[in-house]
Amino acid sequence: MSDTESSRVGNPVVLRMDGISKSFPGIRALITVDLEVRAGQVHAIVGENGAGKSTLMRILNGVYQPDEGKIELDGVVVRLTSPIEAKKHGIAMVYQELNLVPDLTVAENICLGATPAIGGFVRRGEQRAEAERVLSQLDAGVNPDDVVGTLSVSQQQIVEIAKAYRSQPRIVVLDEPTSSLSEHEVQAMFRLVRRLRDKGAAVIYISHRLREVLKIADQVTVLRDGRMIESRPIAGITTADMIRLMVGRELTDIFPKREVEIGDPVLKVSGLSRAGAFHDVEFEVRSGEILGMAGLVGAGRTEVARAIFGLDRSDSGTVTLDGQERTIQSPAEAVRTGIAYVPEDRKRDGLVQQMSIRDNITLAILPSLASAGWIRAGEQQRLAVEKATAMTVNPPVVDRNVDTLSGGNQQKVVLAKWLATKPRVLILDEPTRGVDVGAKSDIHHIIGDFVAQGTAVILISSELPEVIAVSDRILVLHEGAISAVLPRGSSEQDVMRAATGEVEQ
Amino acid sequence: MTQTTSSQAESRVMVQNRFSNVLQWIAVPAGTVVLIVAGSLLSPKFLTMSNATNVLINMSISGIIVVGMTFVFITRGMADLSVPATAAIGGILALGLGPALGTLPAALVGILAATAAGCVNGLLIGYARVNPVITTLAVGTIVLGTAQAFVGGVIVYGQDPQIKEFLTSRLFGVVPVIVLVFAAFAVAGHLLLSRTVLGRWSYAVGSNPDAAQASAVPVRRTKAAAFALTGGLAGLSGVLLGLTLQTARPAIGTGYEFNAITAVVVGGVSLLGGSGSVPRAMAGLLFVQVLTNIMVLQGVPTEPQGLAKGLLIAGAVALDVWLRNRGGAK
Amino acid sequence: MNALRKIGDSSWFVELVRVRVLVILLATVVVASVTVQGFMDPGTIGLSLDRMSTIGLIAVGLTVLLIAGQLDLSGGAVLALAGIVTISLQASLGPGVAAAVGVLVGVVTGSLNGLLVVVLKINSLVATLASMLMVRAICHWATDSHPISGKDPFFGLFVSTALIGPLTFRTVLFGIAILLLWVWLSRTVSGRNLYAVGSNAVSATASGVRSNLYLFGGFVFASVMAAVAGTVQSLAVNTGSPAFGQTIVMTTIAAVVIGGTRLEGGRGSALGTLGGLLTIAFLVTAMEYQNVPAYVQDIVTGAILLLLIILDSAVSGKNHNLLTIAALKRRLGRNQTPPEGITQ
Repeated sequence: MSDTESSRVGNPVVLRMDGISKSFPGIRALITVDLEVRAGQVHAIVGENGAGKSTLMRILNGVYQPDEGKIELDGVVVRLTSPIEAKKHGIAMVYQELNLVPDLTVAENICLGATPAIGGFVRRGEQRAEAERVLSQLDAGVNPDDVVGTLSVSQQQIVEIAKAYRSQPRIVVLDEPTSSLSEHEVQAMFRLVRRLRDKGAAVIYISHRLREVLKIADQVTVLRDGRMIESRPIAGITTADMIRLMVGRELTDIFPKREVEIGDPVLKVSGLSRAGAFHDVEFEVRSGEILGMAGLVGAGRTEVARAIFGLDRSDSGTVTLDGQERTIQSPAEAVRTGIAYVPEDRKRDGLVQQMSIRDNITLAILPSLASAGWIRAGEQQRLAVEKATAMTVNPPVVDRNVDTLSGGNQQKVVLAKWLATKPRVLILDEPTRGVDVGAKSDIHHIIGDFVAQGTAVILISSELPEVIAVSDRILVLHEGAISAVLPRGSSEQDVMRAATGEVEQ
Repeated sequence: MTQTTSSQAESRVMVQNRFSNVLQWIAVPAGTVVLIVAGSLLSPKFLTMSNATNVLINMSISGIIVVGMTFVFITRGMADLSVPATAAIGGILALGLGPALGTLPAALVGILAATAAGCVNGLLIGYARVNPVITTLAVGTIVLGTAQAFVGGVIVYGQDPQIKEFLTSRLFGVVPVIVLVFAAFAVAGHLLLSRTVLGRWSYAVGSNPDAAQASAVPVRRTKAAAFALTGGLAGLSGVLLGLTLQTARPAIGTGYEFNAITAVVVGGVSLLGGSGSVPRAMAGLLFVQVLTNIMVLQGVPTEPQGLAKGLLIAGAVALDVWLRNRGGAK
Repeated sequence: MNALRKIGDSSWFVELVRVRVLVILLATVVVASVTVQGFMDPGTIGLSLDRMSTIGLIAVGLTVLLIAGQLDLSGGAVLALAGIVTISLQASLGPGVAAAVGVLVGVVTGSLNGLLVVVLKINSLVATLASMLMVRAICHWATDSHPISGKDPFFGLFVSTALIGPLTFRTVLFGIAILLLWVWLSRTVSGRNLYAVGSNAVSATASGVRSNLYLFGGFVFASVMAAVAGTVQSLAVNTGSPAFGQTIVMTTIAAVVIGGTRLEGGRGSALGTLGGLLTIAFLVTAMEYQNVPAYVQDIVTGAILLLLIILDSAVSGKNHNLLTIAALKRRLGRNQTPPEGITQ
């Protein structure tokens, strides 16, 4: 429960976002969202991955412009055309990626851009005093003379907030402020947030950690699939309620599930750990099985996958394939071992945009298509066409550049590339993200083909309906550790509960 | 913000892409044609056989280095500034060791030494991820110093006039041998880049190193290879230059790195990596050589040609940046 | 490489690298005074410092630019051109005014560099390479590739005569420059902002610092310092030559890097640069006194530079290198495309 008696519903409304809609090619990110934030209030915004939280905040910060709707500050309609505009209107954003200068001191960072000076010379005494003033207002335990690069992450975050606070903002937006903090540091952050609130600022608090939201927020707004579902005072709500609001939906997408005989374990992972990312991860996947991997953003799913695939290192742990223990330290080794990984960030890790479809499809297996380095062009072409057709890439003209394809087709090219490596284990990281419904269905048919041939599939997805419809078992990660292994037939609430750490091990 | 449907946006991007693609392709050859026309108008000596042969011979030495520099650019290795040094060591060793080992073995030693320097570059840049500019500058300085130490700071004279005769002689009375050597390496370089695994890897690494890494491409090895290759090729041109002139001094390679970068940049090979080809670099080289030739025939003193080259580089890169932004490429 | 990284992570190593300027300088002084007789004589030291001052003046400008995360290869060419201008205009304008015009050359070349990098968004390596070629060409053009002599050989004598103790005018000039640099970098708003620009230009701009102005100004300043160095140099020897400054950029970068200024931007200091310069100066003097030929000196300088950047690479974790292609791409991508499949 919130630490205060009332939820300050009587406080004046500082911000009103009215009927905000925003679309991008292929995605409707926000659909007539209303938001009302009051001064001196901590207003939490919760929602699944893809619900629209960050888009809404980017509109508030002037990075995007809404397609429809208006923004009112203190009752006056404003157009926020850029982050600088937003700042002028008293809106301060504190992102997860910090914008501090590591080689300058805390005081210098706080005062950056408006340093107290005389004749061009820094008035160090005043600068320090100014920084101290801001820091003490927030009751932050940071020394203004310390060089920022030497501080811990939580201290740096405090400096970032202090820097934002210096301009006396009316609205402070905190994006996942506690995601990299220890329990102890979280308490310090809470104190800071409360100070902000008590000073009269409106604090928008975006977080996945529902328990924390219960402790710190006065009001909570739930977003789902781009819509505002409910906004209410925190009093009386439970995490279960929030979860229900976050995930309840109609099942409009149909995910085909092939009935396949599940065989022996192909991949066994045990004791996999990397400091700061995941610890003691242990699971196995069988031939013909689809193991879903669910969890919140930052839970560690991609990190685990990349570690198994050799893209990133791990501190300890073993990976066993078909009963034989393997050390995999690079993607090339992983491919040789028979593991394939379809990455989360298609643009960054999936495709080489300047190369043709054919080159992309054959990129991971080039040595096998060459004699002494010389590529057997005819064979390469045939293979590329064969895979592109199998994936129903449209149009299957492999000479074309890959960036001429739509998002869904590009994803199919990535799948084709990995299909060509004939893997024993296929790890898919958000394979249908940003893909239209038709292509989604195609991709799941393809996954079905994979498992029918005996491949073991690990499916990482933030789309709960997808995970639930398709997985034979669901592994749920929470803050780097496995919090549950759920059987087929589990509900979305079951998954969300495990994902937010509600379930006891 | 305007709202377009996804297909409209896509087709608009595609049209822009096509336009800038076409522009990129015809610009240099068209420019060269213009130059040739201008040159023939400006000077009666321009369109003669002997002049053309001169141009080709000059092109050959630079051209071999350009092949290497193309690889460096494509793998996003930025530039190899150690070329003057590796060329110098090639030439100096070839001539200096000639009497003792025989011309050909000495030449081989020169090329090997240059390749070794290139490997050092490759290791530092590809594996240790050190800045390519500083690395190649520093390695170049060290190699050049070594070359000078080897000759005690004086000019080395060759003692094999026969090889000079051979290299400058014309096959079928038309094409100088040295040009054939260049042509062979240019073709080999082109085939390497366009038809082999290493070539595909080079484009992938330069275009999107993250995706290449995630697709099991050996990124570090590929980057290192580009520099090792360039070292070897620079050594080869140093050797050829030394054998042709029958003299070699440490400064023999001065300016070749800038020539190569100019040619590559004018030819449209992007500094950002992932695009371009050997033919395009050669087109750029031809353009620059023809331009230089015209200026020489007009009696323009050598060094102001540097002015033109500087302008060319700036102009070509700016154009490339502009086209990239317009074309919607990221 | 992993082993290297493990060593690089250990704290004693990091500390050692941090104070490496001092360590190297001390080591050099010790070795030099032991191996070279009369090294510690004021006369010898004065000579060392005088010769170092030309590089030093350029290094002051380069330090500023490197902190801002940019590179400038045109310093040597600008040095030559400024000297040529100073000497050739002596007859018509008088030596004083001619020298002033020589310095102004730096403003022009610096503005050109700024235009290429900041406005046209060309990578600073390529841009300053291009401007270097052009300026060097102009040098040859203007002098017909011959060195030129000034009208008044006595005017420039003051440059390398001892002014304060063993320190020459040139040394004093450099001393003032480095002192001003130190004050500027540590005490003024603009100096501190420079670090922000070099560290993360985009977020600096978001905080209200006009990054583009700083970058442009940095190029102008670096060129002006090179022009000053060239003017003073030419006055000292009463000669302007298109061949001056051929290898000076390399040496200057070496000094600055030895002094702890990183190529990535966001880090550097006047004191560090001074330390690096002194190290190089004493090293070169010691080697000369031992009759070590020039090319071996080059080898040593090159090797030290290489060693240091490898060390830097091993120790520093993140790599926000403005000289990388990736950073250049980021700067070019001004589009606001939404993330593929918006995550929240």
